[in-house]
Parts: sequence; C-alpha cells; structure tokens
Amino acid sequence: MTTGNPEKVALSTTSPAPRPRSNGKPDNVLAAELTRLLGPKKVLSNLSERMNYRYDAIQFGATPLAVVLPESTADVVTAVRVARAAGVPVVGRGAASGLSGGAAPTLPGLVISFTRMTRLDIFPERREARAQAGVVTLAVTEKARPHGLIYPPDPASFRTSTIGGNLGENAGGPLCFKYGVSGDYVKELEFVDANGDVHELTRDAYDLAGLLIGSEGTLGLITEATLRLTPPPKFTRTLMASFPEVGACAEAVSAAIAAGAVPGKLEFMDQACTNAVEDFLAIGLPREAGAVLLVDTDGDDLETVEEERALVEAACLNAGGTVRRAATDAESAALWQARRSVSPALGRIRPQRMNEDIVVPRSALPEVVREVRALGDASGLPLVQFGHIGDGNLHPNILFDPRRESPEAVHDLAHQIALVAIRHGGVLSGEHGIGTMKRSFMRDAVDPVTLGALRDVKRALDPAGTLNPGKILPDEEGTHAHP
Amino acid sequence: MNHDIPTQDIGPQGEVMAHAVDACVHCGFCLPACPTYALLGDEMDSPRGRIVLMKEVLEGELPLEDAAPHLDRCLGCQACVSACPSGVPYGELITSFRGWSEPRRERSPFDRAKRAAILKVLPAPKVFSLAARAGQYTKPLAPLLPAALRAPLDLLPEHVPAMQPSPRVTPARGRRRGRVACLAGCAQQALAPNFNAATLRVLARNGIEVVIPEGQGCCGAAALHTGARDEALRLVRRNLAAFDPDEYDAILSNAAGCGAGLKEYPVVLHGLPDEEQARAFAAKVQDISEFLAGLLREGDLDPPMPTSRPLTVAYHDACHLAHAQKIRLAPRELLRSIPGVTVAEVPEGDLCCGSAGTYNLEQPLLANELGVRKAKNILSTRPDLIVSGNIGCHTQIQSHVRRSGSRVPVLHTVELLDLAYRGEL
Repeated sequence: MTTGNPEKVALSTTSPAPRPRSNGKPDNVLAAELTRLLGPKKVLSNLSERMNYRYDAIQFGATPLAVVLPESTADVVTAVRVARAAGVPVVGRGAASGLSGGAAPTLPGLVISFTRMTRLDIFPERREARAQAGVVTLAVTEKARPHGLIYPPDPASFRTSTIGGNLGENAGGPLCFKYGVSGDYVKELEFVDANGDVHELTRDAYDLAGLLIGSEGTLGLITEATLRLTPPPKFTRTLMASFPEVGACAEAVSAAIAAGAVPGKLEFMDQACTNAVEDFLAIGLPREAGAVLLVDTDGDDLETVEEERALVEAACLNAGGTVRRAATDAESAALWQARRSVSPALGRIRPQRMNEDIVVPRSALPEVVREVRALGDASGLPLVQFGHIGDGNLHPNILFDPRRESPEAVHDLAHQIALVAIRHGGVLSGEHGIGTMKRSFMRDAVDPVTLGALRDVKRALDPAGTLNPGKILPDEEGTHAHP
Repeated sequence: MNHDIPTQDIGPQGEVMAHAVDACVHCGFCLPACPTYALLGDEMDSPRGRIVLMKEVLEGELPLEDAAPHLDRCLGCQACVSACPSGVPYGELITSFRGWSEPRRERSPFDRAKRAAILKVLPAPKVFSLAARAGQYTKPLAPLLPAALRAPLDLLPEHVPAMQPSPRVTPARGRRRGRVACLAGCAQQALAPNFNAATLRVLARNGIEVVIPEGQGCCGAAALHTGARDEALRLVRRNLAAFDPDEYDAILSNAAGCGAGLKEYPVVLHGLPDEEQARAFAAKVQDISEFLAGLLREGDLDPPMPTSRPLTVAYHDACHLAHAQKIRLAPRELLRSIPGVTVAEVPEGDLCCGSAGTYNLEQPLLANELGVRKAKNILSTRPDLIVSGNIGCHTQIQSHVRRSGSRVPVLHTVELLDLAYRGEL
C-alpha cells in the first residue's frame, strides 16, 4: 500500500503555537463586531483567511465577510446574533468535503466553521457518544472501539468530514445498506436557530431532530449530537466481482438481494472509476472490467456470513461476472480504500464534475444504470457511475473541464439523468443533499403542494431567510433568488 | 480547480504550478494528513487552503504578503501528496511557488541576514562543523535566548563528532558487482559522519565500488525549498557537472531529503536547456535503502548476523522517503533481514517530526510541538532502537527523545545494518 494512515491524526485544539489570526484591524463592520465580542482568535477577517472559507469539494462560492471558528455553542449563539443584527446570511461549515455545494456561500456573509468544536465523550454503558459538531467522523469509532463499540455511518470522506456536516447532509456510506445513514444514529440534537436560540431535540413527539437532519444548514446550525453506537459484527468477509458491463453488475445485485442476502456493504464502480483509483493506489484492480462490485457480508455467526457470501457469489457468476474473494484483512482494507477514493480520484480525468446522487428502486437498477450509461455515451461528455448499489443509490458523475466542455451541456445531461431517476420512481438525493447543484431539479421531483409545505417549514424556522440561502429550495416563481 | 494563472508571464515554472492547481478538486482528503492542519485546525494552514492561496496570489487576486504566513508554515512534508487521490503534485507546486515568490517578498534586514546565513552555513560541511562546535559551548546559555536562536542549539547533539573525510574511491570487497556514486551530503557530514562511513562499509562488503565524485556539493534542496532559486540552480548545475550518470549503476544518497532533492532536478530545470541532462541524472538516483533492498530482493545482499537478543526497532518514516520518494517498504525489508529484529510501527507514523529542512529555525514553536508528539509516539512502541533514514529527522528525534528522558539510541538504517554485519547488535 502506498497511502498514509491519516485516520490516526486527531485535531488538537490546545496547541500553544500562535493561532492564525487577523493581522491588524478587521476589515469590515461585521468582523469588527464579532472580534469585539469573541476576541481575535475566533474570528478570521483577512482576505487570505476568508477566501479559504468559500468552497466545498464541488463548488466555489462567494467570499464571506467574516469567518468564526467557535469553540462552544455560546460562541455560535453570539455569532448568529451578530450576523442577524447585521442582516447577513450565515453558512455552517464542517470540513467542507460535501459534494452538492452545501457549504459554499451563495452570498457574502458569515461562515461558521466548526472545526474547533471537537469535544467527544463516549458513554459505553449507554452505547452512546456525545459529539460536538466539529468532531471528525472516524474519531467517534476510534474512541468507541476500545469499549467494543463503533459508529457505523461511514461516508467516503470519514477521515476528514465532521459529524455536523454529516448530519447536515444526512450522509451515508458503504455500510448504509445494512446499517443505515447518519440520521438513523441520532438520539438527540442541539442546534442554534436563526435567532440565536439554543434547542435540545429528542426524537419523541414531533421528530424535529429528523427535520434538522439533512436540512443542509437551512433550518438551523447543529452544534452537538448524541449518537447511537453499536458493537461491530464479529466476522466480515469481502469479495470483489467484475463484470463486462454495468447492467450485469446491477442484475447480480438485484438477484443476490432477492435471494435473501443482506450484505453489510454493496458498492459498485464502473471502468473509468476503477482506472482512476488504480492510477492512485496501484493495487491490481481489474482495469478491463466494465464494472466492479465490492461486497462485505458480516455478522456474529461465521456460517451465516459465509453463506451470504456464497449467495452473492452465485448471483455474480450467474450474471456473467468473475469473482475474487479477499484472502486477508489487508486485502479487503485495500479494496475498501479503493472504493473510498473514487470520488476525488475522478479529478484525474477532468478537474470538475457534477455529482448526481439519485436513488432508485432496486428492481429498476439494471435498467437505470444502462439508461444513464446510454445518455452519457450519447452526450459525448465523460460520464462515470459508482455508488451504494445495494440501496439503489447511484452516483452518476459528469466530468468536465470548463475550458473544453460546455457547462450548459453538463447541466442538461444532469437534468436528463435526474429525470431518469424520477421516471423510475426514484429521488434526487440519497446522501449528499440537494445544495445548489440539484436545486433546479426540485420542481421535477417534488409536486407544488409539497414544495409549498417545504417553503412553509423554512419560513417557520428561518423567517428572514438568512440560513444558508440559495440551497435546496428553488426560487419561487416570479421572484428572484431568496435573500 | 479553475484558474486564470498567467502562465505565459511566469514561464516554465508557471506551467508546473498551473498544472498542480488544475489537478486539485478541493475534496479535503489532504486535511487529516497535514501536520499544520492537525495542530491549527483551520483551512489556510491545510494543503487545500494553501493551493487556493497560491492560486489567488498567482492570479493577482491576493497580495503575496497576506498569503505568506500560511505558506511559510507548510513543512513541505508532502504527506498530502500520499493522501491525494487526484494526483496533485503539491510538492512541485509549493517548491516552484517559493522560488517564484521569494524575490517578491518584503523581508526585514534581520530576516534576510538570517536566511542568507542559514543557506551559507548549512551546505558547507566545514563551516557547519565549526558552527556546531561553537554552538556546543553556547548550549548552556540556550534557556536565556529567544526561541528562534534557541532552536538550533536545542537540536545539537551533546557531542559533535570530528569530521571524517570520505575517500574518493572505496573499492569493492570480494566479487565486484557494481559501481555507484554517492552524494556526501552537507550538515550530515558534520553531525553524523558515521552515516557515510557505515554506507561505504556496507556497500563495499556487498561488492559495490563507491565513488564520491569531486566537485559535488549540496543537493540544493534547502535553497530550493526556501525559495532561493538562483542559488539552487547553481548547486544543481554543479552536481550535474560532477556526476556523470553513464559512469555509475546508481547515484546514491543516504539522506532522504537530499535524495528527494536530487530526484527533483528535472522539475527545477523544467523548460531550461539542461532539463534532459537532469532527467538522465535523476533516473539514476536512488536512496541507499532502495539500492540495498534491490540487492536483498535479488538474493545478492550479504546476510547480516543475528542479534544477540531480540530487538524491537521503531522505524520512523522520513517524509522525504515515504511521501516524496514513496519508499516505505525497502528500509523495513532491510531491517527485517537482520535475524532477531522486529520492526515496530509508530502511531501517527505519517505525521512529520517537525524537522523539515530549515523549519526548526523558521517555525520553532510548531516544529517543537511536532517533535514532542513524534518522540511520544515513537517511545510508545517501547523500542530498543530507533531508526530513520534522514539526518534532519535524526537530529530532531534524538533531541526530543533525550529531552523526554529516554536514552534509546537513534540510528540510520545503514548504521544498523553495519552493526549487524559486525556482530555488534
């Protein structure tokens, strides 16, 4: 393996080294007021600092007027109140590894970056963790593991991404097929609303916590969460299957699940993905295969785990695939690292991409992947597919270089793909959110009455429209962009 | 990422930088790999943030002086390069950027003098040795000095050994299997002359004739990585004249930083008339561990003698071996070839020790924090010996391990092999 071990690096917020801070005076009124109330160490106002808080992993947005790096919920409250008084928008930000433009501000305003809110407590007797928003996702499992527990949600970016960001986007990961997504592990949430008031939500009565999860920072800023932990399965077995064509891969998946297999993970990547990753890792992935399927079966009973692997294996062979079983833990770890690296490795093909996040019924999988493939081929744009195929959650990615390919053509193809999903009874987003990228497709996906209800919810919690404006909800007919 | 870097105005180094910026998809996978991000936790002090800052400066959107503090804090460890699935050549970007920006920097006369002094003393072994000896006597005064002056004194070993000039040619012992040239190195000759002595003994024992070509000098990495591009070009060209790649099976370095520097020559000379020559030279460059592991794999390495008792060796990956040169396995294979040695993996092994060229002198607080963390991580493996393949890491680790009260010896990979050959382990 040629790659590092970055999961072991934890953020330390106690470094005595000089903190980056504004040299000289804050260069605008908002920054000046924030600095007066929070002190210079928690407020960034230099251009060089602010410029670095305008992007996520997909998009560059507007340069914020100021950035606050809170160390407590009280700091968040102060920051939100100052922004409210100044009438500027507020965007929450974790590690900014999101793929829908969620953390990229659409307007100049305040960015609240949670990377210093990293308090994490494990309560093994209750099988719970209490995490501040800036805790790195993997850190929860690392700290829980000595107690015989893990935190299952495992987005590809889990070494970087934060709990706050995961909850904001309701992030999934390979384990979501069997174990669910981030939102399924939340017992309590603390959030700061648009007025700067702090709320504690549980999941009884109205599931308001559920409303905040996946709201992409448009309804409130999640500051802390109580998370459910589980014991890890005792046994895990990995297999990789390769297929001449993506549709055959999807057929194998449908057949395996229909036969009763409930694998822990079921992921696929097409040829372009496999090759981009192989360029990075050089671990011997089959470059010639049209699609590669990665499967973990897991559980506490080895016999069942092996039986399930055999079921999947048979389904793959029936669909014309070839199967390789991972012989060692190291081999399966390498295969899963390969899958985790897909998304950024696509940068080797084109510098920019439009990331779709469609979810379709599993029965429709073979048809959908083939239709999407055909649309890509017809468009002449580089299009790749990968994703959590077990959930029917596909990530068709359109790769482009704005100097070579027209952004309009990219948008048009993305729209057509969204329509394929909707036509087959699917939805626009499984785990990355709508953000700015898929906002304009919402009118196709959601009927006007429901869209109206969503707008009512937004207005109830954020009447002035200052929380992460320009995300999720499309502009109302006849109006300009939401303030 | 999209950019409008005016490459035509910057020249060949502009292309190098623009290509790196282009390749970055700002995914953030580099963040957890970055030592300064680990310490400071903000975007400007992460690789992704620095790429954006460099882009903005090159595009003229941000004054250089605003970006400089964050770029100066980069160790150049390239852990981000290992972590980057998109293949961003960050090392080439930051090195080129420093070369481009240094002449445009406003620095105080004191700062200028300090940098000039470092770049004069570091590459001149004799001067360095004198300075190190003088420093030894000043060491008791260290607590009274400001951090910037205290740092180099803290790093000095308790005893600065006498210089041991290496012979120009060391003949092979037994059957002659090959002929290599070695880079003698600079500070290393003064601080750890036994690295070179052990290298010559081990190579000779394995039938390799070793030449230390006359006229060679500093690899130029220190100058290059601090932005002194003209000085670096002078040093690079001096070495290209001294080493004729056609004469040797390999050109070896036993310092990870220098080896990485030598392999970087084609990038330094990109677009210049001697680029081809640099390519031919770099193709022959190998780290000593790479070369010896090659012999081992072919069954040609003289087997080392078993140790007298089981030894746990904590192997420290130098950033310039692991990240810049992608050499991780070779030194481990060599260590494991010694019967009785168990190699211990260091927690947070990919995190830089904080030495990084002149970083100790320029960013003493961050360097110190990383050094403390590294020593703690290494000692957590309860090693009998600590081994690394780079003089910079060696002095840093030794200094911090001693300060934490441990007496565990710190050795170069080739020193351990040398001791094993002599039955002294």
